[in-house]
Amino acid sequence: MRLSPDKAAAEPSTTAGLSRRVVLAGLVTAYTASLIPWALAESAPDVDRGNFLILSALIAGREGLDNELAIRYYDALLENDEGFPAAVSAILTLVNQHRIDPLKLQAFLDESRPELAAVPRRIATAWFLGVVESVDGARVLAYEEALNAQLVSDVLMPPSYCYGGYGSWAQEPGKGSVDG
Amino acid sequence: MAEELSADFVVVGSGICGALVAMVLAQRGASVIMLEAGPRVERAQLVANFRNSPRRSDWMSPYPFSPWAPHPVYRPEDNEHLVQAGPYPYPAEYIRMVGGSTWHWAALAWRNVPNDMRMHSLYGVGVDWPFDYDELDPYYQWAEELMGVAGDGDEHPESPRSQPYPMEPVAEPWAMRRIRERLAGTYRVASNPVARNSRTFDRRPACCGSNNCQPICPVDAQYHGGIAAAAAEAAGVRLISSAVVYKLEHDSQDRIVAAHYYDPERNSYRVTGGTFVVAANGIETPRLLLMSTSDRFPSGIANRTDMVGRHLMDHPSTSLTFDADEDLWLGRGPQSPSSISALRDGPFREDYSGYRLDFTNISRVDSTTQRLLLEGVYGPEFERRLRHSAAREMSVKTVLEVLPRPENRIALSSRKDALGLPRPQAHYDIDTYTRRGAENALWHFRRIAELMGGSNLRFSDENAFANNQHICGTTSMGEDPNISVCDGWGRTHDHDNLFLVGTGVLPTAGTANSTLTAVAVALRSVDAMLPAEQGSAAEQRGS
Repeated sequence: MRLSPDKAAAEPSTTAGLSRRVVLAGLVTAYTASLIPWALAESAPDVDRGNFLILSALIAGREGLDNELAIRYYDALLENDEGFPAAVSAILTLVNQHRIDPLKLQAFLDESRPELAAVPRRIATAWFLGVVESVDGARVLAYEEALNAQLVSDVLMPPSYCYGGYGSWAQEPGKGSVDG
Repeated sequence: MAEELSADFVVVGSGICGALVAMVLAQRGASVIMLEAGPRVERAQLVANFRNSPRRSDWMSPYPFSPWAPHPVYRPEDNEHLVQAGPYPYPAEYIRMVGGSTWHWAALAWRNVPNDMRMHSLYGVGVDWPFDYDELDPYYQWAEELMGVAGDGDEHPESPRSQPYPMEPVAEPWAMRRIRERLAGTYRVASNPVARNSRTFDRRPACCGSNNCQPICPVDAQYHGGIAAAAAEAAGVRLISSAVVYKLEHDSQDRIVAAHYYDPERNSYRVTGGTFVVAANGIETPRLLLMSTSDRFPSGIANRTDMVGRHLMDHPSTSLTFDADEDLWLGRGPQSPSSISALRDGPFREDYSGYRLDFTNISRVDSTTQRLLLEGVYGPEFERRLRHSAAREMSVKTVLEVLPRPENRIALSSRKDALGLPRPQAHYDIDTYTRRGAENALWHFRRIAELMGGSNLRFSDENAFANNQHICGTTSMGEDPNISVCDGWGRTHDHDNLFLVGTGVLPTAGTANSTLTAVAVALRSVDAMLPAEQGSAAEQRGS
């Protein structure tokens, strides 16, 4: 897997690897370790991007995140907020210290750390909707590839894409598609 | 001026009604100039704008905003083009662009029921129309054939017809089939008549089920005013875009002699003609008439009895959203396929409003995503809840009638737009007649939920009426000039050569989305503007 930084200073990979391991070692306990896409995070060229991938995986609830999208989202989120990497790192530290379930993360931050509360929501909006807020208004970085389209793509097409041949929508949609 | 702008007919507005009127006039041999305030925009651009919009659920967001021809925009902030005077908000939406507001619609092509046009004599409320349903039937047919309406007459006995729909109904989405089957025996759920192709028609393809009727059909399977405007130009109409008509000029005999317009740089032009047709929608038409003041008409053109802008009507909606007990997966096929018509008419209309019950087939994916993001639902639970709501959530809404009341009106604000023209101002309220209709619907909402095994019932707030952008009544037809602006042919009472077309001329709103009726009435008006050589156009159609 490749994750090339658009803007981050090019670091020799060995240095990047070292610093990443140092930071991750400081952050992670067995609890978060079980949730983290290690392979993905370790492929990141620097610690900040690695942290972003880890927090993204926790929020998105899946390890298999699109690498190209990760680059685009990270660059856009960083452009909008230079404190973004530090906030991501702080949130990961909290998740680790307090063993916060992703489902409770937003409520925890809203309650205890309001200065960080906007960050998971921005990351979630990026992955689930493909939209990143920026100083000049929001931008769409993904539509068909946004997770909310991908998570239902066995049954639905994103609106504006043809469903299929004429009348294909009259058929019963696939079985086993929803929890009981 | 380098060039004299003059024609037999000058049409103000290139939306579906203005464009089709212009087209027929040109086909009958007249010279026609059509003036459109907004710009030309291509469909592919609108589709791209939609996909790139960070506010996809705001269906106005793909449509370009022109500072010289502003239309209301409410998100992310209200631009206050339509000033609200209250007491109830009237956040109408429309599009100022070549082709007008039907670029963005669900293509519902309902006919009125005959009694919609006899409300006063039958039920003692509202007004009677200056003509009856039977007289409109051939013009409905003509409109349906121009627009390409798919429907099944047998499913709609409430609106009799002498000839079949031009196309069979569009294939029924699975979700609507299940709703129809589970409600059978209690409610008859019928397919909506729609200006949407169920086969190749008029060189446009059949629907491909992209579930994007609003804000923009990506393949033109759905008819819209842009198609009408193109047909008008093909028939020889000269269309001038970005031409903001701000004044109609009259002579000493009260005949209209010219329309004055600004280009985006506020250079003024004068267009002369023999007959003038204003087709600028239910808000911009009265605005133009009210702006066109003179010593002789200090309150505006066609407004001697102070009726211009009054009798504003729309179709407010209340709704129930719930989770069915089976997977339906809304979002496959067109957005608005099915309805219940049983409550559109009856003696109860003496007391409360009739209504249609519409089932939506709009994908729940984006709305659920927004809700889950707001709730901060992350991790594997997000996927579980998204799929649950996308599969199970369904919604039914009322389409309620509003009575014509003079105090509901479009007036001029003291505030100005970018060209210095007064903004339109809405005075609006939802009366007890309509509110009682909404209350009556609650029982049916609950019954429908019960039949669908519904849980997690979410009723719209009892004082929250969603607007449907069916702007009617503001330049009403009628025989009595004291309560109307134009006669049954759309000819203004005050000016022989000034006609009005569009939803504004409809004297009552009924429970039918207003476009098809407005087009049918407009086509009928063409026969008064310029009769076909033999008989009426509707009689000649197809000959």
